[in-house]
Amino acid sequence: MPGGTQPAQGWSGTVAEDGVLYVGSMDGRVTAVNSSTRNLEWSYTIASPSGGASCGQTSIPAAIYSTPAVDGDLVYIGTYNGEVLALSTSARSQELPFPQIGSGEWLYPRTKFEAIGGIVGSLTIDENAIYVASSNGRVYSLDKEFGDLNWESDVLSEKLWTSPVVEGNVVYVSTFDGHIYTLSTETGKKLPWTFESDVGFVSSPVLYTNTIFVGSFDCYLYAVKVGGDKPLWKFPGGRWFWAAPVIRDGIVYAGCLDGKVYAIEADSGDELWEFDTGSPIVSSPVLMDDLLVVASESGDVYVFDTSAKPEDKQLIPVKAISIDALIRGSLCAHEGMVYIRTQDNCLYALDIEKGGISWELPLTIKQES
Amino acid sequence: MADLWSLIILNPMLNGLIALSNVLFSSFGLAIIALTIIVRVILLPLTMRQLNSTKAMQSMQPKIQELQKKYAKNKEKLQQEMMKLYKEAGINPLGCIWPMLVQFPVWIALYQSIMRALATTPENLLDLSYHLYSWQVVSQAFPLSSQFLWLNLGGHGDFILAIIVGATMWVQQKMTTAPSLDPRQQSTSSMMLLMMPLMFAMFTMMFPSGLALFWAVSNVIGIGVQYFITGSWGYLRSSPAAQPAPAGGSKLAQRKSQASPKIK
Repeated sequence: MPGGTQPAQGWSGTVAEDGVLYVGSMDGRVTAVNSSTRNLEWSYTIASPSGGASCGQTSIPAAIYSTPAVDGDLVYIGTYNGEVLALSTSARSQELPFPQIGSGEWLYPRTKFEAIGGIVGSLTIDENAIYVASSNGRVYSLDKEFGDLNWESDVLSEKLWTSPVVEGNVVYVSTFDGHIYTLSTETGKKLPWTFESDVGFVSSPVLYTNTIFVGSFDCYLYAVKVGGDKPLWKFPGGRWFWAAPVIRDGIVYAGCLDGKVYAIEADSGDELWEFDTGSPIVSSPVLMDDLLVVASESGDVYVFDTSAKPEDKQLIPVKAISIDALIRGSLCAHEGMVYIRTQDNCLYALDIEKGGISWELPLTIKQES
Repeated sequence: MADLWSLIILNPMLNGLIALSNVLFSSFGLAIIALTIIVRVILLPLTMRQLNSTKAMQSMQPKIQELQKKYAKNKEKLQQEMMKLYKEAGINPLGCIWPMLVQFPVWIALYQSIMRALATTPENLLDLSYHLYSWQVVSQAFPLSSQFLWLNLGGHGDFILAIIVGATMWVQQKMTTAPSLDPRQQSTSSMMLLMMPLMFAMFTMMFPSGLALFWAVSNVIGIGVQYFITGSWGYLRSSPAAQPAPAGGSKLAQRKSQASPKIK
């Protein structure tokens, strides 16, 4: 690639539902794996047409950044080529042609004239709708059942690569150009409160007790009270807070690209403890009861006991597990295990109690010649 | 090696480019133009040396052609006589190459900086973060706006930009490509004169237009520098049948031309 740049490959995370793991793979597939047996339940390839100088039209696997979202029998996924799919687990198990409308499957956009930009953030689901932020700078609301467009917002930014947050009747969106917008879930129109910062926001927002926590390009983690015009506090990191933080019991756990995980008091912004993993943290941490699981990009996974007392603002992990692969996708904690899809296209199951890799499953399907 | 390259050349240029975009009204397009100008100014002594060397070589062409005719059947003697000619004129035949070689890493770094700063994919944006300094002027520059004039600097170049890149490259090349009396050589150089601009026009449609903007600005500056050094449009106005003599050559070239001995 020119200039040492990298093509879009995706870093989809994993989601677990009823003993089945759903994950977007590096070769453009949504895959369902039985978490107990490790059997492949089904797999569906999402391809995007590719023009080019060759005769006819070829297709290439779509890059998938968003983590699948599951609701009943349907698995929703957004792709970097700007499509949102609702996949029926029963139809996919039978390998029927997509979309099986009778099974509730749908694809948005319906035609190329309705094309939306690439989807990088994850989809957000509420009772009736799916909300998706697009690289064309708009937020879309789609009908969950039929995939019809409920509304599209105004262009909020040059591009939106973050996930929207929905609470009540409000959609919260942070933008690269330093805004936090609030939109009506009914109409998509901007609500009166907008927060404006001098610097852009790089991470997806997290809403906790009416406060938004979001990482910015100036290497700070911001806490912004909804309705306020100034940050409640901002906490400095060594680099960008790329991943959205997780928050519980008034403590914000934030991974930073400087390689450190920080525990910060949500009310005051005071640091409680930190730990340097030695490699950038790209994925959001996950919580399992009192345990905090953090993965560094280089493939080291650390487990912290959040109830333990830090010494000199340092908390030592209780366990460390090493995976020989890059970790960028979000982690999935489920029944004592943490599932991670790595950048070598493998799905790893980590047994947190034992502190080791329980199993690994290559997701790449070899084509039969 | 890659770390050293990033530390010494790529990162300073990349951060400079991003800081410039902050200073220049948050316009990444203006930053590309400004950095291209800055780099070309810094490299001007080398460029001048290269151009003068090229001009001096071109001024020797009539004499070289005489030698080629005279020693058409004795290649060894031809080489000896040519080297003697260069030596007497005080010209190093490789003199125009090394300034070009020295400039290469800088152009590559500039090219990489533009590509990295544009961060057209999420992976690129993540990778970009590892190359940034913790300067406020850099962090405040984000997000870089990819809109400039009618262009989306992160998207593929359009037809208008392709024409600008191709045309400016053709003019720049045409100014320095001496017509040849040898029909075969003339045919080759005519083809080259067309091929390169056509290729770059095609690249413009394939690569981010921020890169094509860099090519276009670089070409325009190149044309300006050549005009300044030679004092004319060079071979732009001369026909292929014309004698391969420099049109208003540089003082250095003229001096060397006068100093060169006649071939007996």
